[in-house]
Amino acid sequence: MILLKMAFRELLIHKKRSVITVLLCAFSTALFIFVNALNDGSHKQLIRSSAETYPGYMQLTGRAFEDNPNYDNLIFDTPRIQNILKDQKWISAFSARFESYALYATDEQSIGGMFTAIEPESEAEVSRLKRSLVSGEYLSSKDTNALYLGVEFAKRLKVKVGDALSFISTGADYSFAADHLIVKGLFKTKLYEFDNSAAFVNKSYFDEVMHSTDSATHIIITPAEISQIDAVTQRLQKVVGGEIEVKNYKMILEDLVLAMKVDQIFSYITLAIFFVVIFFVVAIFAFLSVYARIRQIGVLRAIGTTPGQVMQLLLLEALILGIIGVGIGGAASAHATHYYEEHPISFGFWGDVEIEEYYKQYNMVAEVTIPTQYNPPKIAVEMLIMLMLNLASVLYPMIILRRFTPIEAMRHV
Amino acid sequence: MKFLTVRNLKKVFHKGSESQTNALDGIDLEINKEEFIVISGPSGSGKTTLLNIIGGLDSPSEGGVDLEGTLITELSENDLALFRRKNIGFVFQAYNLIPVLTAKENISYVMRLLGCPKSVYDARTLEVARELDIDRYLDKFPDHLSGGQQQRIAVARAVASKPKLILADEPTANLDSKNAEKLMELMRRLNEEEKVTIIFSSHDPLVIKQARRSIVLRDGKIIEDVVCP
Repeated sequence: MILLKMAFRELLIHKKRSVITVLLCAFSTALFIFVNALNDGSHKQLIRSSAETYPGYMQLTGRAFEDNPNYDNLIFDTPRIQNILKDQKWISAFSARFESYALYATDEQSIGGMFTAIEPESEAEVSRLKRSLVSGEYLSSKDTNALYLGVEFAKRLKVKVGDALSFISTGADYSFAADHLIVKGLFKTKLYEFDNSAAFVNKSYFDEVMHSTDSATHIIITPAEISQIDAVTQRLQKVVGGEIEVKNYKMILEDLVLAMKVDQIFSYITLAIFFVVIFFVVAIFAFLSVYARIRQIGVLRAIGTTPGQVMQLLLLEALILGIIGVGIGGAASAHATHYYEEHPISFGFWGDVEIEEYYKQYNMVAEVTIPTQYNPPKIAVEMLIMLMLNLASVLYPMIILRRFTPIEAMRHV
Repeated sequence: MKFLTVRNLKKVFHKGSESQTNALDGIDLEINKEEFIVISGPSGSGKTTLLNIIGGLDSPSEGGVDLEGTLITELSENDLALFRRKNIGFVFQAYNLIPVLTAKENISYVMRLLGCPKSVYDARTLEVARELDIDRYLDKFPDHLSGGQQQRIAVARAVASKPKLILADEPTANLDSKNAEKLMELMRRLNEEEKVTIIFSSHDPLVIKQARRSIVLRDGKIIEDVVCP
């Protein structure tokens, strides 16, 4: 108790030094937590944007479809699989697709592109296709001959909403398939290559034209908990059987996940440098504080304070400053991360067009705003790390003190 | 068995260099309980070094110090601190009070380290403070007290935990003659009433004459050891 009282008074006597240390600690804690939250938030958003734009968080395909994406390796019993999926509580939504290619023709020109069947209502729950509508209307399950087209693709085809075009393709039974289509709606996902080549029709119409009833190339799934995706993947694989392959976004977006891992490693390196700088700055303050009273510490030891108790005293001082500094920094950054999770930081001041151009190069979804990720348990752990770092900063002064006998310390000027 | 035995104590500073100094050169000394001893001698004679080694604040180059069967020169830093806490009270020339503690807290500090209950250390602090006539300064911090008042608080701190031995290094050096006389009277009283063994160093003849045994050092050696009448 007396040591605690001494620690408090020592800090109060040297107000300026204490305030600077607290501010330094608060600032570094806030920065550490906020940078991490922004990093996590941007990664989460990147995954969400990439997965939800079209590929989905999870995909079911025929076992050999990836190596040989042809009509012999389809999911041929889609209703049975969909019935199984309906009963899984760890799945929040699913939708079947049939991806194919077609040659589109207008009066002026013919261009090849994707020709994909979707289940309009359920598709809206597994991707952002519906939300990406920019003109006209999204598809419905009653539609026939209606086409939902990427804006860039529409530009190439020189068509707009309401215009007619025809397509020619190969049906699921390798027969010849062709029909007229009317552009019902245009979409823009900001994924340039996708917007430049994708076109969708209602699956029931597609099945009729392409003879693909009960078949699908993919079933897209959204798990109830994204964080549990690995476990859901394993469970699902057991449920659907060996003929069907289950993949999650970590496999589908392998390059993106790898890029994020590399980014994470660079973040850790940056943070490590940050830690070293903060550690030394706080350690210098702790050292100055101890160095200025080596004589006093010599007296304490002379009258019976053990080296361990001297260490306790210094640790208590560091702990008090650390708790206040980390507390202030942690509270401020928690508030900020919570706020910016709901109100993502806008980088629009760089100009939307420039940002879109930048992302276009990498075929990624252009995002002008980045949210933070508010994660209270993680913030608590980060605050604890900063507190430990603060406590560790008194180790060097302690080593210096150990070199002095009480009498040497008392003679120290 | 003697209360305190010093055997062939040597202390060499800057060993091997041109400025090598033999601060203590083979001191042998035996001290009984409840003695009131002054160590005197010119500057550089080794008074402070001897007191520091007896108190376990410094280590000898050779020889040993035995206090009631404990060879304190062999103890570790931690054990030495515990030993000092329990057995030795120090009065320093520069008072050396803890600036962040009040007079009361300074006096009770060692008792608190020893784990005494609050009621016990509060009562003892008050008792010692009254004895030394400093009870009205108990709530003051050291920097609000005069040199004489600080030295009396330093004495109170040294005696409050009832140590077996009090070591005082030139306790009157920074005091005027009136305060120096008062302090010596006080220490003598503590020796007689509290039965504490006291060893102090001084080169002030007025102070030296109050001791019951006088040891004179020169060049690190005892040149005189007499019991005063």
